[in-house]
Amino acid sequence: MDVKGEQDEYDVVVVGAGFGGPVAARKCAEAGLKTLMLERGEKAGEKVISGLTIPFYGFLFGPQFIRDGNPPVERPVDGIINYIIRDIETGDIDIDDSLKIPKPLSPVLAFGYNAYCQPFCEWEADKAVESGAEFRTSTAVTGVIKENGRVKGVVTDGSERIGSKIVIDAEGSQGLLAISAGVREKYTPDVISLADVYDYEMKKEDVDRIFGHSIRFCWGWDEQGLAPPLGYGNGLMVWPYRGSIHWIQDECVRISDGQTPNLVKDFEGYHRNITSQLPWWREEVAPRVSLRAHIFDTFEIYVGLDERLRNMPNHADGMILIGDAAGLESTALCDGVPAAWFSADIAADVAMEAVKAGDTSASFLKRYDDRIKAHPIIQWSITSRERYDLRRAQASHDERELKRCVHNGWGLGGFNHMSTPLVRIILDSIAEDPSIIASWVLMYCRYYYNWAHERFDGRGGRAEGSPAAQTAGQRAFRKTYEITDRVLERLDAPIKRLASLLAHLSPAANPMMKTLLPLIEPVYCFLIRFLEPLTDPLSRKLVEFVENADPAIFNVAKRK
Amino acid sequence: MKRVSEQFPGVEWVEGAGEFIQIDADKCNACANCVKVCLAGCYEISKKKARIKSLDECMECAACWYACTEGAIGFSWPPGGTGYRSDWG
Repeated sequence: MDVKGEQDEYDVVVVGAGFGGPVAARKCAEAGLKTLMLERGEKAGEKVISGLTIPFYGFLFGPQFIRDGNPPVERPVDGIINYIIRDIETGDIDIDDSLKIPKPLSPVLAFGYNAYCQPFCEWEADKAVESGAEFRTSTAVTGVIKENGRVKGVVTDGSERIGSKIVIDAEGSQGLLAISAGVREKYTPDVISLADVYDYEMKKEDVDRIFGHSIRFCWGWDEQGLAPPLGYGNGLMVWPYRGSIHWIQDECVRISDGQTPNLVKDFEGYHRNITSQLPWWREEVAPRVSLRAHIFDTFEIYVGLDERLRNMPNHADGMILIGDAAGLESTALCDGVPAAWFSADIAADVAMEAVKAGDTSASFLKRYDDRIKAHPIIQWSITSRERYDLRRAQASHDERELKRCVHNGWGLGGFNHMSTPLVRIILDSIAEDPSIIASWVLMYCRYYYNWAHERFDGRGGRAEGSPAAQTAGQRAFRKTYEITDRVLERLDAPIKRLASLLAHLSPAANPMMKTLLPLIEPVYCFLIRFLEPLTDPLSRKLVEFVENADPAIFNVAKRK
Repeated sequence: MKRVSEQFPGVEWVEGAGEFIQIDADKCNACANCVKVCLAGCYEISKKKARIKSLDECMECAACWYACTEGAIGFSWPPGGTGYRSDWG
């Protein structure tokens, strides 16, 4: 057995290079901590599976290097189209497409960004390495080193013992490391869902024409056999990518009567039925796609709704768990990336504080748990019940209830429960650094430009030009940004005070939306449609401006 | 060495994964939950016990491990750099 001197060889060892691990590794390394990141795959992200829209809040309020950077994205998303299938035989289908960023803001201002996991995670891992983190691939971690009950490092599959002051566990949803360390228990099968994912190649112009920037979800009564039982997973969900579409169905590993469903048979049936019967798939999509990949993985769909599982420890003496390893999967959108980013950021902060204080005890690291519990978006995203409540709609076969759940989960009704956390985090972010407002605008433009030109981190697409080559419009845009940034800098203190003050009012946002939304929504929807002839060309103008700009104008200026 | 599969395009398996999933035959009650949830068809029931047919197309999802109510399935990660990989997740 190869045993190295393990005594605090590293300040921080991060286990896993998915979405969360590299964020923690980069931040720790940037702060000067000796950091090692271990990944069991040959490359970062190659064992990560998801059908993926990373929602806007992950980018806006997550790690700065992602917001201000150029990660590889597949397509900006403008919203969700829900198909509520009452009767597939007769084609009786309702549509709820209320959750859409209105034009002319969209598609430049996006609801989120679709991405393949592997290139995105690799981009993040590269950033961690650039910051000084060591990165070892093809290295599985089999357990932790424990001394007197304290985690003191990790053991790899090569029997190497690596000492570390703190281990950040970013292993993913199965959580084998936390279980073997005695920190958490294995999840019960009723909170686990198996996702069956198909990736289809499709010409970009066809994706543009058929899907545009909208993702599509299908919902239907169980007896149609089109999708997993309502509330026990998801039916057909389609994410448009650049020159491909991602198709997902998922179902819980244990369902209502305590039985284990025959997922092999179920998935085969759902896939066959919906792709052969759903009109838009059969007529528009099927003739234009070819299957490129078929993959599957489990994720902890309802951990956040089970109080006992939700409250399992996320830290121990010498160890912090982040992202899916801490059970932070979103129960509403089934997307764990923003919570992985937020928790990785927090874990890195706490690790730095602990190393500086020379105290990595669980009682010191409890501040990590406190911050996770105080994080408005994390807590909202792991406790939303809309998907779970679809069970009630099926049980009573109540169409109004089905539509209400869909509207509140993946329609404009989401603002009934997401307004408070959203307002809170917007104001908290501004209170911390008002200049973030300007960087949000640049991020949307830069991301759209990068997507349009397949230009990520200067690779591909067009090079940045010289200021002399910029048009008057581009120079005006840049000037406006610089003035705004300077104003924000000058008014830093009053803006911070105002944002902190207003943040106290954020609890009123949800009740206010609940009262106002029923009144506002019909007017809003009418206006959106009525103004389309005006907003459509404006949207195209905005897209043209961004697409034709010198990308240099979208870079975030480094303040002196 | 990498393998591919007709059933699961877009996925590669790097050889050397070994037996990273094990069944404790004493605990197995042949309920076949593992067979029902394994999309890669890794399991079969033989002589009133579950057995692993092949892990060749396993994607390390652990659905079998979750579904086994008897705790008869031992699940670990395959050695680093082995097992499945995909660019399309």
